[in-house]
Amino acid sequence: MTTPWSVRPIECLSLLVVALWVSSCASPPVQPAAAPEPSTRIYVANESSNNVTVIDATTLAVVATIDARNYSTHDLSLTRDGRRLFVTNLASGRVSVIDTQSLEVIASIFTGFRSHVVTLTNDNRHAWVANIGEDMISIVDVETFRILGTIPTGKGPTGLTFSRDGRFAYVSNQGDRTVQVIDTGSHTVIKTIPVGSNPHFLVLGPDGRIWGCNTGGNDIYVIDPESQSIAASLVLGPAPQQIAFAYKGIAGPNAYVTLAGTNEVVVVGMEGGKLHVREKIPAGDRPNGIWSNAQGTRVFVVNEVSNDLRVIDTGTSQTIAKVEVGRKPIRVVVSR
Amino acid sequence: MGRQSTVALGVILAAAMLCLLGAGTANAQPASAGVARNAIGTLVVVRPDGVEDRLRGKGSVKLFEEDILRTDPGSQALIELPEKISLALNENTQLKVLSRWEKGKPLTRIVRIRQGEAWVKTGEGPKAFEMETPVATAFAKETEFNMRVEPNGESILTVIQGIVEFGTAFGTCPIRPSTVSYGMRGKRCTRPETIDPTGVLRWSRQIVQ
Repeated sequence: MTTPWSVRPIECLSLLVVALWVSSCASPPVQPAAAPEPSTRIYVANESSNNVTVIDATTLAVVATIDARNYSTHDLSLTRDGRRLFVTNLASGRVSVIDTQSLEVIASIFTGFRSHVVTLTNDNRHAWVANIGEDMISIVDVETFRILGTIPTGKGPTGLTFSRDGRFAYVSNQGDRTVQVIDTGSHTVIKTIPVGSNPHFLVLGPDGRIWGCNTGGNDIYVIDPESQSIAASLVLGPAPQQIAFAYKGIAGPNAYVTLAGTNEVVVVGMEGGKLHVREKIPAGDRPNGIWSNAQGTRVFVVNEVSNDLRVIDTGTSQTIAKVEVGRKPIRVVVSR
Repeated sequence: MGRQSTVALGVILAAAMLCLLGAGTANAQPASAGVARNAIGTLVVVRPDGVEDRLRGKGSVKLFEEDILRTDPGSQALIELPEKISLALNENTQLKVLSRWEKGKPLTRIVRIRQGEAWVKTGEGPKAFEMETPVATAFAKETEFNMRVEPNGESILTVIQGIVEFGTAFGTCPIRPSTVSYGMRGKRCTRPETIDPTGVLRWSRQIVQ
C-alpha cells in the first residue's frame, strides 16, 4: 500500500541530493571572523632624508624606510582604507604615491613648484595639493594619478583641509595671512578670512570646526564653518606648528598643539567653545608633526631637530617611548 | 671549462653588470623630453634654473623635464616629443614639458598648457599622452586634436582623429572626431558639438608642414 508520503529509494536519493544542493546554495559555509588585531602603522615624512619611515604602532619597531624618489619629503595623506599614502616633496614639486602593502613608491606626479601639503577629499577620489610656488591647488585623481584641474589661491598656500560635509575646502595662505574658503561644488573662493602671521597648518576638529596655526606668530584660531568666520583664538607661544585631538581620561577632546619655539606640546581645552591651556608637555627638539591614535589615548610627535618620534600617553601626559626616524621629520600620520 | 667558455662567460657577466649599472644610474643624466624643430618667429625655452634658450627657424633645441616653452605674438613652434608625438604651439602660448612615472608602465608624457593654443598628433601604439590645462586634462592615444586655453582657463578641445578622454574633477567624457567640447572650472566638460576642424586648424598649416 502506498500513501501520499511514501517514496521509493531512488526518489529518496534524488530528494536528498536536491535538498543538499538547495542547502548549499542557501547558506554558504560561514567563515568565522578573525579576532581584531591592532595592525596600525605610523608614517613619518623626513624632509632632509627624502624618505618615509614606517613604524608598527603596536611594537614601535621600524618596519621600513621608503625612498620617496623625490626631494624634500614634506606632507602625508593616507587613504581611509590605508592602502595608499600620498606624499608631497617640496623641492621636486612632485607627489609620490606609496603602496602601503608593498611599501614602495608606485607613482611620481608633478603637481607644481614647491608642492607643500596634500589632503584627500572626504570621498577619497581626489588628492588636493597646495603648491606654494605657483599659488594654486592641483587636483589629482587618486586612481589614474591624472591632474584634473587647478584652483588659484592666495599667495603661498600652505595649509589645506575640508569641512565635515565636504562642501568647503579651507586653504591658508602664508603670504596673504588669510584662509580662503573654497566651494568644492564650483571650485570658487567664496570667502577670504584674515587670520594672522604666517598661517600654516589647518585641520578639521572633532567639533566640526576648522583649527589653524599662525606659525609665524604665537596663536591658534578656530573657524566656524556655519559663519565662515573666526570663532575663537588663543595665544600659546612661539611657532605653533600642528594640531591633533585626544582625550585625557574623561576630559576632552582636547587639542594637542606642537609649539616649536618652546619644545612643548600644549594641551588646549575647548569646553563651551572657549579655548584655554590645560597643560604643557615637554617634547623633543623642535616638535612639528603630531597625530593621535583613533582612540585618542596616545599622541605621536615628530621632532625636527632631534630626529625622533615620541609617543605621549595622554592619560598621564608622559612620554612613554621614543623612536629614531629620518632627518628633519615634518609630518606624521597614523592608519586607522 | 675551456678558455673560450671562460671568456664568453666573462663577457656575459660584464654585459650583465653594465646593464645593472645602467639601470641603477638611469636617472643620473637628465633624459631628453623632446626636441624643438621649427619656429616661425621665436620659440623661447625657459629651463628650470631660469636660463633661456631660443629657436628661430629650423633647428634642433633639446628639451628637458620641466622646461617652459613660450611663443610671443606672431610666433609659432613645432616640437617633437618622444614616442612620435608632434606638438605645435600657436602664438601667445605657454606650456611646460612634464612626465609621470608609474611603476610597471611606460612614462606618461605630459604637456601642461597655461594659456594659448596647441595642436597635437600622437603616433600609433599604446603611448600615453596627456595635455593638462588649468581646468581639465585631455588623455589621448593615437589621436590628433587641438586645444585652446583662454586667459580664465576655459579649455576648448577639438578632436580631429581618434577619441580623446576629456576630464575635469567633475567627470570624464570621450570626445570623438569632428566634435568640440569645453572644459570650465567647477563643471564637467560640455556635451560635444559637431564642428568642421579645418577652420580650427587653419593657424597650424604653415608650422606643421
